[in-house]
Amino acid sequence: MSKKYCIFITTLFCAFIGLFLVANAAAPDREFSEMENRNLEQMPALSAKSLLSGEFMKNFETYTTDQFVGRDAWIGLKSSTERVLGKQENNNVYFCDEDTLITRFDQPDAAKVSENLNYVNTFVENVDIPVTFSLIPTQACIWADRLPAGAPNASQTDLLDQAKATVPGATWADLYSSLWEHKDEDIFYRTDHHWTSLGAYYGYTALAEALGYTPVPLDTYTETVRSTEFYGTVFSSSGVRWVSPDTITTYVPDTGITVTSYTYDSAGNPVEVPRSLYDTSFLSVKDKYSMFLGGNQSLGVVKTPNADKPKLLILRDSYADSLVPFLTPHFSEIHLIDLRYYKLSLSDYIQQNGIDQALVLYSVPNFVTDSNLFWITR
Amino acid sequence: MVFSSLYFLFLYLPIVLLVYYITPLKWRNLWLLVVNLIFYGWGEPKYIVLMLFTIVLDYFMGLVVARCKEQDNDKGARIAVAVALVLNLAILFFFKYWDLVARTLQYVGIGMPVLNLTLPIGISFYTFQTMTYPVDVYRGDAQVQKNIVNFGTFVTLFPQLIAGPIIKYKELADQMTYRTHSPEQFASGVQVFTVGLAKKVLLANNIGKLWDVYLALPADQLTTAGAWLGVAAFSLQLYFDFSGYSDMAVGLGRMLGFEFLRNFNYPYISKSVTEFWRRWHISLGSWFREYLYIPMGGNRVSKPRMFFNLFVVWAATGIWHGASWNFLVWGLYFAVLIILEKAFLGRVLEKLPAAVQHIYTLFLVLVSWAIFAVEDFGHLGSYLAAMFGSAQGGLYSDSVGYYFTSFLPMLIIGCVASTPLAAKLWAKLPVKAVKIVLPVVLLAGLLFSTAYLVDATYNPFLYFRF
Repeated sequence: MSKKYCIFITTLFCAFIGLFLVANAAAPDREFSEMENRNLEQMPALSAKSLLSGEFMKNFETYTTDQFVGRDAWIGLKSSTERVLGKQENNNVYFCDEDTLITRFDQPDAAKVSENLNYVNTFVENVDIPVTFSLIPTQACIWADRLPAGAPNASQTDLLDQAKATVPGATWADLYSSLWEHKDEDIFYRTDHHWTSLGAYYGYTALAEALGYTPVPLDTYTETVRSTEFYGTVFSSSGVRWVSPDTITTYVPDTGITVTSYTYDSAGNPVEVPRSLYDTSFLSVKDKYSMFLGGNQSLGVVKTPNADKPKLLILRDSYADSLVPFLTPHFSEIHLIDLRYYKLSLSDYIQQNGIDQALVLYSVPNFVTDSNLFWITR
Repeated sequence: MVFSSLYFLFLYLPIVLLVYYITPLKWRNLWLLVVNLIFYGWGEPKYIVLMLFTIVLDYFMGLVVARCKEQDNDKGARIAVAVALVLNLAILFFFKYWDLVARTLQYVGIGMPVLNLTLPIGISFYTFQTMTYPVDVYRGDAQVQKNIVNFGTFVTLFPQLIAGPIIKYKELADQMTYRTHSPEQFASGVQVFTVGLAKKVLLANNIGKLWDVYLALPADQLTTAGAWLGVAAFSLQLYFDFSGYSDMAVGLGRMLGFEFLRNFNYPYISKSVTEFWRRWHISLGSWFREYLYIPMGGNRVSKPRMFFNLFVVWAATGIWHGASWNFLVWGLYFAVLIILEKAFLGRVLEKLPAAVQHIYTLFLVLVSWAIFAVEDFGHLGSYLAAMFGSAQGGLYSDSVGYYFTSFLPMLIIGCVASTPLAAKLWAKLPVKAVKIVLPVVLLAGLLFSTAYLVDATYNPFLYFRF
C-alpha cells in the first residue's frame, strides 16, 4: 500500500468518526420517539455528585445512543440485516407469514397463573351477581400456523382449560372456538397485539349466551374504514420496517351513546372527563387503537339510549375497548374498570351502581402476567 | 468504558486522536495518561485512586529494585520485588476473590463477611502487566523507568487496559519513550480495529443471543442437540468477543503509534489441546510460562515435578478467569489434558488423520466451554448430562430446529471466520482489487456495527401494551 493510499484510508476512518461527532453535536435532541412510544434520554445534569457516583456516565451512555443522528434509520437497518441473515424474530417478535408480526408467547409462571385465577374465584364468591369469565386467546395461538417452523410457542389452550376449571362459579364463555372458526379472517391486527373490530365481533357472539342476549347479525351494520395507516405495538417492538400497515374499521354507530371517564385531578379531586365510543383524534397519531373509547382509563361508564336494558360491569384489559361498541344494544350502561388504576372496593361499586352482571375479560398474555388482579378481591 | 459503544467511537476516540496528533511529541504521553484515566474511571470513578496507588507502588518498587542492584544489594532488591508482588496480588485477591472465599467459608460454617465490591475494571489484566515490572527490572530484562508519566501511561494505556493483550513492560518500554507515527501504521490500525469491532458487535453479540437461549433454559427442557448447539454458539461468541477486543486493542495501539503482539491465532483450527493453548489468549499463556512455570522449574525437572508444575499453572490460569470454582475445574481439566498429551496422547494423535485431530480438539474444547460458561455446579451437571445423551428434554425438539435455522447463516459465517480462509483469500486478491474493496468493506463494517450499537437501547416502551 502506498503512503498516499494509507493517508486515504486514515482520512476515511477519521472522517467517519468525526462526521458523526459533529452531526451528533449539531443535531437538536429529540424529546420523544413516536416509533418507540417513549421519552428519549436527555443530556444528564453534570455535578460532582453525579460524576463520582458514575450516575452521569451511565445516563450519558443512554443519552448518546438515544439521541444518535438518524436513530430510526439505524434501527431499521439493523432489523433488515437480521432478516437477511435468516433471523426469524427480533425483540421477542416473530416474523410470520402473511405479512404478520406476532409477539412470542412463552410458558408463563405457573404460580402467577393460579394466583390470578384464585383472585377471580374469590371475586365470584364475594359478589352476588352473575359473573362471566373468559380469556381471549391471541395471535400466537389462533394464528400459530403463521409462525416460523418450530418456533417456541407455549400453549394458550391449556391455560384456557385451566382457567375454566379453576373458576367454576363463573359462566365460562368459549371465545377460543369462535375465534378459531374464523381464523382465516382478519380477526387480529397483523402489527398490533389487539383484536380487530371483526375479531371483537366474534368474541361478542361467543359471549352472547353467557351474558344473555341474542347477537346482532354483522350484516346489520355497515363497515366504516377509520384508518389504513395503522402500525401497532408489535410493529414498534419488532423494529421491522417492511410490513404493510393495518386497517382499523368499526361497525356499530355511536349515535346516542355517551362515555364518561372518572378520574382525579392533580389535587386529588374527582373529575368527570367526557369521552366517546370512537375518538377519531387518535387516528392522526401513532397510537391509533386508542380511538376506541380514548385509550386507557381507570373507570369509564358507557351510557346507551336503551334505558330498559341491564347494567354490565367489565373488569378488563384494552381488548374490551373495541368490544364495547357491539355490547351497546344490549345494555343500558357498561362500566369499565381497569384494575391497574382502580383500587376501590368492587362489591361496593356493584351495589352503589345497581350493576346486574359482571364480565371478567382479559387476553391470555395479559392475564398470566398481570400483577393487579389482587384488587379484584376487594 | 468499552470500545464497542457509541460514545467511545464517536466522541472519545475522535477527540483523543485529534488532540494526540496536534500535541507536541513530548506531551503526548501526558495526554494519553489523562484520557486513560478518564477511560478507566468512566464506569467506577472511585477506583481511579486504586489505579493511582498501583502506578505509584510499582513505579516506586522499580526504582528501589534498580537502586539496590546498583549497590549490589541483591537481598534488598529481592525484598522489594517480593513486596511488590505481595501487594499487587493482595489487591487483586481482595477485590476479585474475597467474596468467593467468604462464601465458601460460610458454606462450611466459618463466618466471613461478603463484601459485594464491584470488580475494578481490567484489574486481572493490569495487575499482571504491572507486577512483573519490578521482576523484569530485577532480572535485568527491563530498564528502570524514571518518568512516572511514562510509567503511568504504560499501566493505564487504554487500548489494552481492560481486556488485554497482557503486555509486559519490557515489551513496551522502548515505545513508551520513543515511537514513530506513520499513515501506514495508522491505516493498518484502522483495518485491524474495524475487523475487531465487527467481530465483537456483529458476530459475538449476535451469536451470543443463541447461547443466552440455552443458558436460560431450565434443565427439564434441555435437549442433547440443543445443549451442543448452545455450547457451539458460546464458543463462537467467546472467541469473537475476546479476539475482537484484542484486535481492537491492536488497531487502536497502531493508531497511537504502538505495536502490540497478537493475542489469538485461529485457535479453533488446532490439532491438539496443547496447540489450542498456543493459539488462544497467547499473552496470558506466555505470562504464566515466563513468571510461574519456568521459575518453578518448568520441564527441566523430574516428570512428577513437571506434572505438578503444570497442575499449579493451570489451576492459576483457571481461577484467573473468574472468581468462581467452575473456573478452577476448567483449568484443571486442561491440566489433565495437557499432561496426557505430553505423556503419550500427543504422539498417538500425530499418527492419526488430521480430521480426527481436529475433531478430538474441538470436542474437548467445546466440553471445556460448557464448564467455563455454566457457573452453577448443579446446572453444569445437568448441562453436561444433556450434552452426553441423558437430556431431560430428549435428544431433539422442534425449537432446536427453529433456533438452528434462525442462526444457521450466522453460525456458518462464524465458523468460516474462525479459520484463516478469508485472510488467505484476501492476500491473494490483486492489489488493484484490494484498493477498491478495502474502503467498501471498512465502511460496511463501520456502518453495520453502528446500526447494531444504536439498536442496543431500542427498547420500545409499550405503556398501552396491556
